[in-house]
Amino acid sequence: MTTTIAERARVAMPHGVIDDRRGTWGMVMFILTEATLFVFLFFTYYYIAYNWRGPYPPEPPKLTLALIMLGLLLASSVVLHAGERAEKAGSTELARLLVGTTVLMGIGFVVLQTIEFRHHLKELKPTTDAYGSIFYTITSFHGAHLVLGLLMLTYVLALPEIGPGRKPPHRALHNAALYWHFVDFVWLIIVGLLYVVPNIRR
Amino acid sequence: MSSDAAAIRHRLEALWERPHNSWGWIATVDHKEIGIRYLVTAFAFLLIGGIEALLIRIQLARPDAAFLTPEHYDQIFTMHGVTMIFWYASPILSGFANYLIPLFAGARDMAYPRLNAFTYWTFLASGLFLYASPFVGQAPHAGWFAYVPYTLKQYSPGLNMDFFALALLFLTISTTAGAINFVTTILRLRAPGMAISRMPLFFYSTLTISASLIFSLPPLTASLVFLELDRQWGTHFFDTARGGSAMLWQQLFWFFGHPWVYVIFLPATGMVSMLLPVFSRRPIVGYTWVAFSTVLTGVVGFGVWVHHMFATGMTQMAMSFFSAASMTISVFSAVQVLAWVATIWQGRPVLTASMHFALGFLAVFVIGGLNGIVTAVIPFDWQLTDTYFVVSHLHYVLVGANMLPVFAAFYYWLPKMTGRMLDERLGKWSFWIIFIGFNLTFFPMHILGLLGMPRRIYTYPAVTGWGTLNFAETVGVFVLTAGIVVSLWNFFRSLKHGAPAGRNPWNADTMEWETESPPAVYGSETVPVVTTRHPLWDDFDEEYDPEHDRAFTEGRVTVVTSALDAVPIAIAKMPDDTSTPFLMAVFMTVLFTALLLKSMGVALGATIACLIVAAVWLWPEEERRVRI
Repeated sequence: MTTTIAERARVAMPHGVIDDRRGTWGMVMFILTEATLFVFLFFTYYYIAYNWRGPYPPEPPKLTLALIMLGLLLASSVVLHAGERAEKAGSTELARLLVGTTVLMGIGFVVLQTIEFRHHLKELKPTTDAYGSIFYTITSFHGAHLVLGLLMLTYVLALPEIGPGRKPPHRALHNAALYWHFVDFVWLIIVGLLYVVPNIRR
Repeated sequence: MSSDAAAIRHRLEALWERPHNSWGWIATVDHKEIGIRYLVTAFAFLLIGGIEALLIRIQLARPDAAFLTPEHYDQIFTMHGVTMIFWYASPILSGFANYLIPLFAGARDMAYPRLNAFTYWTFLASGLFLYASPFVGQAPHAGWFAYVPYTLKQYSPGLNMDFFALALLFLTISTTAGAINFVTTILRLRAPGMAISRMPLFFYSTLTISASLIFSLPPLTASLVFLELDRQWGTHFFDTARGGSAMLWQQLFWFFGHPWVYVIFLPATGMVSMLLPVFSRRPIVGYTWVAFSTVLTGVVGFGVWVHHMFATGMTQMAMSFFSAASMTISVFSAVQVLAWVATIWQGRPVLTASMHFALGFLAVFVIGGLNGIVTAVIPFDWQLTDTYFVVSHLHYVLVGANMLPVFAAFYYWLPKMTGRMLDERLGKWSFWIIFIGFNLTFFPMHILGLLGMPRRIYTYPAVTGWGTLNFAETVGVFVLTAGIVVSLWNFFRSLKHGAPAGRNPWNADTMEWETESPPAVYGSETVPVVTTRHPLWDDFDEEYDPEHDRAFTEGRVTVVTSALDAVPIAIAKMPDDTSTPFLMAVFMTVLFTALLLKSMGVALGATIACLIVAAVWLWPEEERRVRI
């Protein structure tokens, strides 16, 4: 009896297979909690709208620059994805180049956003009214997340080696890329809700 | 063979033992050590919060008393609530979870050991940050729910509420990190064979609350950020004159607040579901039902937040929906209660001290549940909102469903942690004193609430006739404290005089009892294979491993299994001891202090320091020692 049961204990152990997914699990959950934060920021935007007297927002924000920034970010996601594929295919140098390009595009976004804020702040300040408060909170929260994404990608570039040579759990590029796509996606929503919708309504 | 085993133990010890010096003390990532630190720190917060409760009750013992000034009273009752709810009730459960979950699972540590250390250090640092406030005379003073507009600058010009907002934001970071860690640990590091249908029920409760924290903490973060922005930087989120809304705070805060109630409550019931069957000498009745109702409590917990706001004015439809949801959720609690009762009924209960606390919990929790259901009925709620009836309800639920199970868990698991048995007779004495003191304190609050005594008041005139019951309550809280002191004394006494516990003093069913007491630094020598829900009650030898295939002496590693079926799929490398989590917590403390004092240069410097520490933390380690 005992021997037969004990035989069953011989479960094959996955010797030699190193776990490389824990980082991704953590990143996915981090993104989930961050996404929820943005959900509640948007909730606040509409909660303020719900209580607002008169047209909301009082003055729709200018669209052009925001759309250019959106194009830039979406393109950067494509470039980054190409970078990830290159890394998987083993062409490390190409991967580095593409990830570097993504970083430059992200820096371009930050520059454009600074310009956008400079113009915008002349008409609307965070201290003007509740709309100004939530508008700048959402956009600058996004900006901060984008900078964090940039730091992640730069850090990945600085790591000793991208690619299969570096043993897990350092699937760093994949995890950073997930975060970058998330940040891009949030900007898509921001442009849609905060920029496009008020301009259509007008 | 035995010399073989000794060599393995020796090797494992060398791998997992931390250096025994002050660096090692700071740098350790051992979940057992971190778990005990959590328990000690959270228990210290329980005692501090308890002393605050004593002060509140002395002030309220007689009408027209002036034992405290109104300002001190406000600060003390706020600190009592904040401390108990945020720095005691949830962290103490994290302590148990940290210590026990890897042992239950047969894993050698948590999924992210360094993050685990970081979680503890930030919990401690945020607590110290909060408790710096009384020392500058500016403790938070607007209740633990911090309603605007009372908490805005014009009504609260000091640093009081800045301490509140920043300390909580700080704690939120810690709690989020902990939740992510628990989810990955529970879903990925379970022993081979411990399929999702064989998990200890404590896993279900911790998994549920961790998942719900991931989605419920962001609204808290948002509301606290808005509060700080409004207070310090002139925005208008809560300023009705400029298009903001005071109700926004309540929506966000309670959207977080209600799931938090389950965060405090579910793991405690999970622990009861572990120990109550052991002392009933049979498996729990309705395992699947309890597991499902645990998860559903977490899910439906997101749909009840508005019942904290029935008196704020809203549509009939909204009120009906949230009233119905609030009553629905009691069904899931009832399923658990009935499962426990049936387990006792069907079993042969052994009345240990731990079981006393578990049974006391059942009684108190049922009362707390019933006086909760009635407040979900809207006309009744309108009558009783902001009275002592609500104070009574929340203490019956929170003390009942958190503190009593925590004491039951201490009496059950401390022998595992310290290797020494607690004194059973003292434990039972402690239970009865706590139980009587508790009911004497909180039961009269029902009556006072029905008589109309409002909560949060500083004092009351003698003509109200509330004096006698209030005096009884104050006596009760001293009795309750005496009971806690008896248990504390019992704990300390056991460290020296307790009988050695041995591996499995309760003849329990789960894997932690397979290890020595206290467990070796690496847990068990062999990663176990589990085939049933009650590994130590079946006749299968989990540790049978003649070829030392599952000893894993090649480095700090543990087995990763698939999320549902727990089929081993990979070997996880675990990090060495490191002081980066501690340093990160230190720089974050600097950051939050700088934000408190609005010195943005320092804040920027601290942020950069945090980023540098993160970079060092995440830098790939050499392919050292580990050869797999």
